[in-house]
Amino acid sequence: MNSIVMNTSEERTDQKRCCTFLIEDTCFAIESDNVTEVLQRGVINKVPLAAPAISGLLNLRGRIVPAIDLRIFLEYPPATHSIKQISLIVDISNEWYCFLVDKLLDVKAFDPHQVVPPTNNSSSALTGVLPDTDHLIHFLSPEKILKNLLDIRTESLSVG
Amino acid sequence: MADNEEFISEFLVEASESLDQLDQDLVALEKQPHDSDRLASIFRTVHTIKGTCGFFGFTKLSTLSHHGEHLLGLLRDGKISFNKTLASLLLELVDAIRTFLSSIESTGKEGDTSFSDLCQRLDGACVSTDTDSLIQEQTSASSDTNSIHQIDQGINQKSMPAHDQIPTSSVVNEQPQNDNSDLTRKPDSTRKTATESGDKKSHPANTLDATIRVDVQLLDTIVDLVGELVLARNQLRTTVTDEPALLDAVNRIHTVTGELQEVAMKTRMAPIEQLFNKFPRIVRDVATACGKEVSLHVDGADTELDRTLIEKTRDPLTHLIRNAIDHGIEPVHTRRAADKPSSGQISLRAFQESGQVTIEVSDDGAGISVDAVRKKAVESGLVTNDAAHDMSDERIFQFIFEPGFSTAHAVTNISGRGVGMDVVRTNIESIGGTIDISSQRGIGTVVRVRIPLTLAIIPALIVSSGNERLAIPQSYIQELVALREYGKSHVIEGLEGSPVLRLRDRLIPVVYLDRWLGLRTWKERPTTGTVVVVKVDNHEFGLVVDAVTTAEDHTSHATETTGLWFIVVKAISSLLAPMGIYSGATVMGDGSVVLILDLRGITMSADIPAHTRRGGDLQSTSEELSEFVKESARYLVCETHYGRRVAVPLNQVQRLENFLQSEIDPAGNSCFVKRDGELTQLIDPDRILHTSEKLEKEPTDSSVVGVILPHELGNKAIAVRRIIDVETGHGSLEKTATKSGLLGTLLVGDSATEVLDIIAASQWSEESPLS
Repeated sequence: MNSIVMNTSEERTDQKRCCTFLIEDTCFAIESDNVTEVLQRGVINKVPLAAPAISGLLNLRGRIVPAIDLRIFLEYPPATHSIKQISLIVDISNEWYCFLVDKLLDVKAFDPHQVVPPTNNSSSALTGVLPDTDHLIHFLSPEKILKNLLDIRTESLSVG
Repeated sequence: MADNEEFISEFLVEASESLDQLDQDLVALEKQPHDSDRLASIFRTVHTIKGTCGFFGFTKLSTLSHHGEHLLGLLRDGKISFNKTLASLLLELVDAIRTFLSSIESTGKEGDTSFSDLCQRLDGACVSTDTDSLIQEQTSASSDTNSIHQIDQGINQKSMPAHDQIPTSSVVNEQPQNDNSDLTRKPDSTRKTATESGDKKSHPANTLDATIRVDVQLLDTIVDLVGELVLARNQLRTTVTDEPALLDAVNRIHTVTGELQEVAMKTRMAPIEQLFNKFPRIVRDVATACGKEVSLHVDGADTELDRTLIEKTRDPLTHLIRNAIDHGIEPVHTRRAADKPSSGQISLRAFQESGQVTIEVSDDGAGISVDAVRKKAVESGLVTNDAAHDMSDERIFQFIFEPGFSTAHAVTNISGRGVGMDVVRTNIESIGGTIDISSQRGIGTVVRVRIPLTLAIIPALIVSSGNERLAIPQSYIQELVALREYGKSHVIEGLEGSPVLRLRDRLIPVVYLDRWLGLRTWKERPTTGTVVVVKVDNHEFGLVVDAVTTAEDHTSHATETTGLWFIVVKAISSLLAPMGIYSGATVMGDGSVVLILDLRGITMSADIPAHTRRGGDLQSTSEELSEFVKESARYLVCETHYGRRVAVPLNQVQRLENFLQSEIDPAGNSCFVKRDGELTQLIDPDRILHTSEKLEKEPTDSSVVGVILPHELGNKAIAVRRIIDVETGHGSLEKTATKSGLLGTLLVGDSATEVLDIIAASQWSEESPLS
């Protein structure tokens, strides 16, 4: 299969850009249109009783931004001290969210038509996979992640 | 016409302000009919509206205002004199114009109603004066103006004559704005004169001078940005160097930022005058409808509060004023009989007090009978007869805010349907306010509404629990209670399976915040702390926290006064809001985020019972328990498995039973025995006294004596090795400082014995397996 990941300078109109990052050894990506900045993980204040994947709130220049640990969300073990997590700040309909990842890889252009949608489980935050030169890129939808987190809480509340 | 839209919306804003002003002026004029300045001002306002809507082609509105203007012209020139009927008529005109404006605002058109009936009556009012003066007016209108009002010259010379000459006694649908050349000139000239005269006016009514309109969102953005600046400043201060020049600059930035923050916060504030100005009209209308004479006295209209709050207090205050007139102020004949002035008095007073705005609505009417309220409360089953008897008048009056509570004998169309006051209270409480009533029969009633200055900055306590800091809004806080060791002043007891705090005569359910939020297990929590007693609607409960934090650095956003912080409330993400535990968050001086507890949500999630469930049976149980402790002079002295001598107050002992070691089942951290088909939990005093870890380690004996405790504490027994004797205690109890579960040490018989606090002990062992 041809490599569909191109240099950004050769970007065509039907192409989109994505941010790729690692969690453990798996490569994930989110579309970069709404990624406003990338930071080192800063001080995050815990939110008691929030869903486990919500690490807490961080103060980003006076704005209070919830931080979502993608390791926990994707059911990887919690980050050890050796991992310096990176914060991706994403603007989702004018609210900012912080996604914690292990390592930022690149900003790449891709052709959305080449992304293979998942065969089942449409409610999952995984929107598709894309083969890259040496590995698969797993596309995540930030909106679906939020929706999942909200659903989790509704469930846990109704049980408790 | 697209360009016009902007002008039209500007016109609508201005016109609605003018109409509010008209309301006030007309009501004032009714009291002082000879105030020619005010009359002139009314005339100008109507004239301006007429001119501007003519310009935009709103013909019906223009016609209507023209009729009004004509009548006002006659009034101003002294051709007819002002009276109550005319006031009502003109107020009706104001309402009609409002109807037009709201129709224009929503649909862009004037709507179908043309108010021809009103026009006719306006004209009728003109004609009813004698014809001589009417004729005289027609000829003199253009020449007479100078003597009437100098400032009005502009209007009179440019546009008045043209319209005043038109015969107005007929209801022709005249359209003076067809003349375009006239039109383009008119709005300019009239608007100019209006502002000029506004400046020169002696009345303080016009507050629009030197103000501009700014989008509220823009102001909020400024406030946010300043907040960020404050944080940046704080960071700067912590990393400051020895360089004097830099230090100087940092200090300057510090001062300026502080002031900037203060000013930015002020942009959200507006005088309550905006709201108070609507009330003279309401008072007049309601009083007329009730056939009463009422005058309104306003004080402190310049008191400032957050503009979003002004709007939210409008409905509750309107309701209170209506109530005061309808139910408070007596009819004229009753007042005369009671030797009161025939005109009732309603006072509106606003003032700032300890970070809150207090608004008082008082009347000199009949007052509310405490006994009637008390009787009604008992009848409605809100409170028992005995309890009602012991309540203060203030507490009794609070029942007025219960849903469906009304002592009014007659239901009028203004108020008294029994749905008012609870809604008032809900509205006030939803903005963090409180409300109370005091009243004296025959003298009058005062309703006091206390609301925060702003919702953007609230006073709050910052508490620590586990390793977290959390904010509790002050508006909910009743009091703070220091929680010391067991056996001292304030103790948390276990009652019917849930912990309660005994505070004076009441039992208050408590929530251990650390445990509830999952921050810490039971065993890790310290025995000391602070109970923050909060009240949400009818739910009163205590939140047990580790400590109340006082401000540790003065560079912070929040300034500390008497333990309270003023925190800037920020919204938390829509991801966290549905949890119903946090209502917002704030950023502290060190940049960390502190969550603000949503007490309303916590009340629901923690299933706090409403206060009505307290009192009765629950209370008596507790009192019995405390009687046990007080009256016990005789003690059951036992030896524990580790050979310690302990005493249990004899009247807390139900009976004694022997258990074989083999009958004891360990389950989790506790041990149980089966008695009468039910499990009884064994409490090991050695564990409470920290002499051993577990009951099963018990070294020698094969049997255990169970001291069965009263039923109120659940199925519990204290497990000891043997009973020594029953002996009398002497002297006073020597309180132990550290051990929980002990009341203290007492001379029982002839040796010092540790006295078990069975209430704490039973709770201690009941709670620990849960954590």
